[in-house]
Amino acid sequence: MSIKASEISDLIRARIEKFEAAAEARNVGTVVSVTDGICRVHGLADVAYGEMLEFPGNSFGLALNLEQDSVGAVVLGEYRHISEGATVKTTGRILEVPVGPAMLGRVVDSLGNPIDGKGPIASVERRPIERVAPGVIWRQSVSQPVQTGLKAIDAMVPVGRGQRELIIGDRQTGKTALAIDTIINQKGTGVKCIYVAIGQKQSSIANVVRKLEEHGAMEHTIIVAASASTPASMQYIAPYSGCTMGEYFMDNGEDALIVYDDLTKQAWAYRQISLLLKRPPGREAYPGDVFYLHSRLLERSARVSADYVEKFTGGKVKGRTGSLTGLPIIETQAGDVTAFVPTNVISITDGQIFLETDLFNAGIRPAMNAGISVSRVGGAAQTNIIKKLGGGIRLALAQYRELAAFSQFASDLDEATRRQLERGVRVTEVMKQKQYSPMSVAEMALSLYAVNNGYMDKVDRKKIVDFEHGLQSFFRANYADLLKQINDKPELSKEVEAGLKKCCEEFVAGATY
Amino acid sequence: MAEKATIARPYARAAFGFAQERGVLAQWSTLLGTAAAVVAEPRVAAVIGSPHVGSDELVALLAEAAGPAADGNGRNFLQALASNRRLALLPEIAAQYEELRAAAEGVVDVELVAAMPVAPAQEQRLVAALERRLKRQVRVHTRIDASLVGGAIVRAGDLVVDGSLKGRLERLAATMNA
Repeated sequence: MSIKASEISDLIRARIEKFEAAAEARNVGTVVSVTDGICRVHGLADVAYGEMLEFPGNSFGLALNLEQDSVGAVVLGEYRHISEGATVKTTGRILEVPVGPAMLGRVVDSLGNPIDGKGPIASVERRPIERVAPGVIWRQSVSQPVQTGLKAIDAMVPVGRGQRELIIGDRQTGKTALAIDTIINQKGTGVKCIYVAIGQKQSSIANVVRKLEEHGAMEHTIIVAASASTPASMQYIAPYSGCTMGEYFMDNGEDALIVYDDLTKQAWAYRQISLLLKRPPGREAYPGDVFYLHSRLLERSARVSADYVEKFTGGKVKGRTGSLTGLPIIETQAGDVTAFVPTNVISITDGQIFLETDLFNAGIRPAMNAGISVSRVGGAAQTNIIKKLGGGIRLALAQYRELAAFSQFASDLDEATRRQLERGVRVTEVMKQKQYSPMSVAEMALSLYAVNNGYMDKVDRKKIVDFEHGLQSFFRANYADLLKQINDKPELSKEVEAGLKKCCEEFVAGATY
Repeated sequence: MAEKATIARPYARAAFGFAQERGVLAQWSTLLGTAAAVVAEPRVAAVIGSPHVGSDELVALLAEAAGPAADGNGRNFLQALASNRRLALLPEIAAQYEELRAAAEGVVDVELVAAMPVAPAQEQRLVAALERRLKRQVRVHTRIDASLVGGAIVRAGDLVVDGSLKGRLERLAATMNA
């Protein structure tokens, strides 16, 4: 007979010590029906909305419908062992998940239980998954950037710490890739990342974990996984759990970034629960509170003031602000952004990044549509050098699009128009970037400087990518000091500009691409 | 079950309101209690809703069973139930009526399930403790259930105080397996 590891006497003793033997007074009810993870419970006169319920077999549920004679509850997890007549007890608590630095590097389910096979998590603190967002008094405006490492994003739609920037697009347009690149680029910046996977294939989640591990980005990342095979209740609560884990860092004066991949599927899960709870269906069969579902989640992304952090930590952390940047992802069907959930989330967030299938297929990756992608608050947080150099990019692309449509009809173009078209083509090329290769501020600055100042005008359009690649290698090899200087202090001073100019001129003269 | 309670509520409230106003709470208790018992009888339950038996006949049967408790008003209540085809709800209505009556009289029915017979002194201490906690007069109905092994369970409506050895062992098992 083999002895199980859990039978070691110390462990057993610890558990006995934890055991409270006093008689418990609880409110109880009886299960009347179980349908697809939804239980109707008779009794439970004193239950509160959103309270955690205890079902037999160590499983838990959430009371979501309080009616005159019954309570509608969702079971979190497996529900096949619950039968009619089973006893349900109130717990007097609302759902909590473990939080803290011990969660970093781990893959957990919606309840914070580890599912990566790396053993239990030594987390001491637990916090409720639903919380009211910080009020206006405690907030501070966005002023520090989150570097995504992608030229197109950081130059044209900058994201600030504490901002909510929506990533929206059809399937297979690189939404997840963009988010993962951003997480990878946070390595070494102190920004903690949380990736919430909702309704995805287990294989996709495993891929993300592997890619993050390969790039050494798991150390600062928590993955909350509610795959397509988990019950709808778990998919519904996953973003709230992830948000609670992120808020822990924000409250302690650190910066965190959370990716909700994706909220469309969470809305589907919530729709399923609502319909099974017999709540009246509204537009697209979603219940009436779908807007609130997302707004209360995204409101919890915030930049909080040093006062808030000091108050929250009881004076332990002073003079540090905290932030939780939100990157929700929405998947559209055939580019339809006027559907219910996309319009809702567009209106809640502080800007959006539109990814398009046509651009993706044309080889422009990230496939961002620069015309309709905006960042409403990120400009205030953009680094000085990128702001100065990137200003021309947006304009050049806008003019290029206008002229490109017009020039299809005109055979003879004047010199100025032709030059603008050529510039537009080159800017578009420069904005292309490979996956898993985020760039530092200095590298971005160089590329932007080179294209803005016409160093690429004489290069064949098909050679632009190679030219840029060569230029970057040259820069890293010969101007390491300048690179470090810009990354340390991202400002466009006279000498920095002179340095960039010299670098470009030397490279063009050598022309080894 | 839940639905039945919802449908029965207005009838129970009406009956209670009427009986309270006239001061005939006990009489209506008898009426509803007997009628509920008759309706719960399987042979009677089978004929409710049957096209061969008219509602007048059913009302007459129930009234007869209730005896003197079924005066003119009582008959009218049964008649109203019959014409709305809600006679089958009588047990639910009777239960809700008793709840309302207990609440109005400041009494609560408590079920005491014990592993072994409870000594009168113990029961009195328990009643005193419960009356303090529930702030009502307590009516104890004791039941013996040997499967509890030891201790007792007190059930007052939805509130359950589990002080049984069985319950404690179950909780210990849950803690150990968590």
